[in-house]
Amino acid sequence: MADKMTPGERMGALITGQKPDRVPVSPFILGYAATVNGLPLGDLYADAKKSFKAQLLCMDMHGYDSTPMYGYAAIGGWEFGGTIKFPYDVGESAPAVTKFPVESEEAVDRMEVPEPSKAGSGPIAMELARQCNALGMPAIFQCGEVLTYAANIMGPSRLLSWMIRKPDIVHKALSKIADYQIAHSQWFVSTFGADKCTAFAGGPVESSKLISPKQFEQFVYPYMLRVHRKVLDMGVHVILEHPCADQNKNIPYYKRLREECGWKGKYVWNFGPETPLETQIREFGDHDIIGGNVDPPSFQFKSFDEIVALCKDNIERGMKSPSGYILMPGCEMPPNALPVNVHAMMVSARKFGTYP
Amino acid sequence: MAIKLKEEILKGLADAVIAGDVEKSESLSKQAIAEGIDAYEAIMEGAAKGMNTVSERYESGEMYVPEILCSSEAMYKAMEVLKPYIKTEAMGTPKKVVLGVTKGDIHDIGKNLVKLMLEASGYNIIDLGMDVPNEKFVATVISEKADICAMSALMTTSMVFMPEVIKELKQKAPGTITMVGGGPLSAELAETYGADGYAKDAAAAAKVAKRLLEERV
Repeated sequence: MADKMTPGERMGALITGQKPDRVPVSPFILGYAATVNGLPLGDLYADAKKSFKAQLLCMDMHGYDSTPMYGYAAIGGWEFGGTIKFPYDVGESAPAVTKFPVESEEAVDRMEVPEPSKAGSGPIAMELARQCNALGMPAIFQCGEVLTYAANIMGPSRLLSWMIRKPDIVHKALSKIADYQIAHSQWFVSTFGADKCTAFAGGPVESSKLISPKQFEQFVYPYMLRVHRKVLDMGVHVILEHPCADQNKNIPYYKRLREECGWKGKYVWNFGPETPLETQIREFGDHDIIGGNVDPPSFQFKSFDEIVALCKDNIERGMKSPSGYILMPGCEMPPNALPVNVHAMMVSARKFGTYP
Repeated sequence: MAIKLKEEILKGLADAVIAGDVEKSESLSKQAIAEGIDAYEAIMEGAAKGMNTVSERYESGEMYVPEILCSSEAMYKAMEVLKPYIKTEAMGTPKKVVLGVTKGDIHDIGKNLVKLMLEASGYNIIDLGMDVPNEKFVATVISEKADICAMSALMTTSMVFMPEVIKELKQKAPGTITMVGGGPLSAELAETYGADGYAKDAAAAAKVAKRLLEERV
């Protein structure tokens, strides 16, 4: 079935609470854009211009509705003075921290909130956002979550162990990280204007596979609330929140976040495939948009027909969300996903996701 | 030595590991040696027993990785004190596991937890670390005559090396048990890859290894 709206019109309708012609598709594509362009994966993260062009061509080729963005899970390490490695070697999929900037308690005391325009990947993210902005697309910036940044700054094992052994030190670091996230957000908002920006937050270290709900409440929630409140107060209307991996046990805190922020703005929730769509709709659906969560590795090894079946199921359940739904994978599209399986998302949205 | 004292020391050692109390673990390990408790027994019936409880609590959602990391510090401290006193005949011949994170992947928390749980279950672990080339897995399994090759991956770009290693091992070291695990893996994918076993987490890994070894016999 032919589309009746452009991607911009479709996303605009969704965000403003109107019915789009069909379910929008946001395949959470980063590395995959490099693969289909024959670009080294590292360039997607190291070179804003090449990254933007690759993502734009990929978007155009498949016809999906999301726009180019810059971000990765290892964020924070480089920004606070460590080093990262871009994924140019076999088997790598995203930037990885090669030297953590904080390896001692004293280093936490010495941590300074970096100037966003000079910090690590900040200038690359800004350049890509400028290219988006020039074409009328949202400038997307990364603003969380704190524990994932902290793991990239001090190393995951050290962080997790210190949460028990040296909680005060961890809190000291988290506070500085939140300050940086706010400063980084302010930089984007003052550059483009809040109405032209979309915030992106999320990360795997907050997952219930690693930390308990109590630890989430103690070490994540206060800082997440502070950052989100500030970003919303800046006037940013849309926040894409990606609680990565299994975060079912953290859902009460995400809901509390929305309640304490007065359900201000519009969130797009993109939980991992472990979280049933029905749960998300029940907790957030009256106000926010639910981003569907098809199992990401399946795009790499399952057939077109199998992906269509997974998408169909996701669409049929997701369309019950009263405030809107986007067909998405439950995390980043695998860089080596089969192109026909990204196409399967489009076919499914057009075939099963049309609104009357 | 009174049986009661021995039981108290072993139980105290297990509790110290569960609580992640490194100092207590060290002092009780030293006390075990001083009281003439067999070092291997102190590890298996004390520290490792505590670690098994930790594993069960992780599986049931009562404990999480921060606590496990503290428990591991306590367990490794006990092993550091006790290991030099182990009489080799007491151990028998532990099963060998070659363990590592596949090429291109530097996420090793999961692998380290698997190592911990397997060590607590009495396995001899040859830890190849992370970003391990296929050839290194295969060569080490052959040179060490390992019983199990266990591979971990957190990325969809690095998990693809698992079937290559499995295929090589089937040709060059048939009989080696292969196990896979990590974020993007599933039982379905593990089967597609031809792995003998899949563990959804570290707690499951020790059980799967035990089951596969029993099945092999």
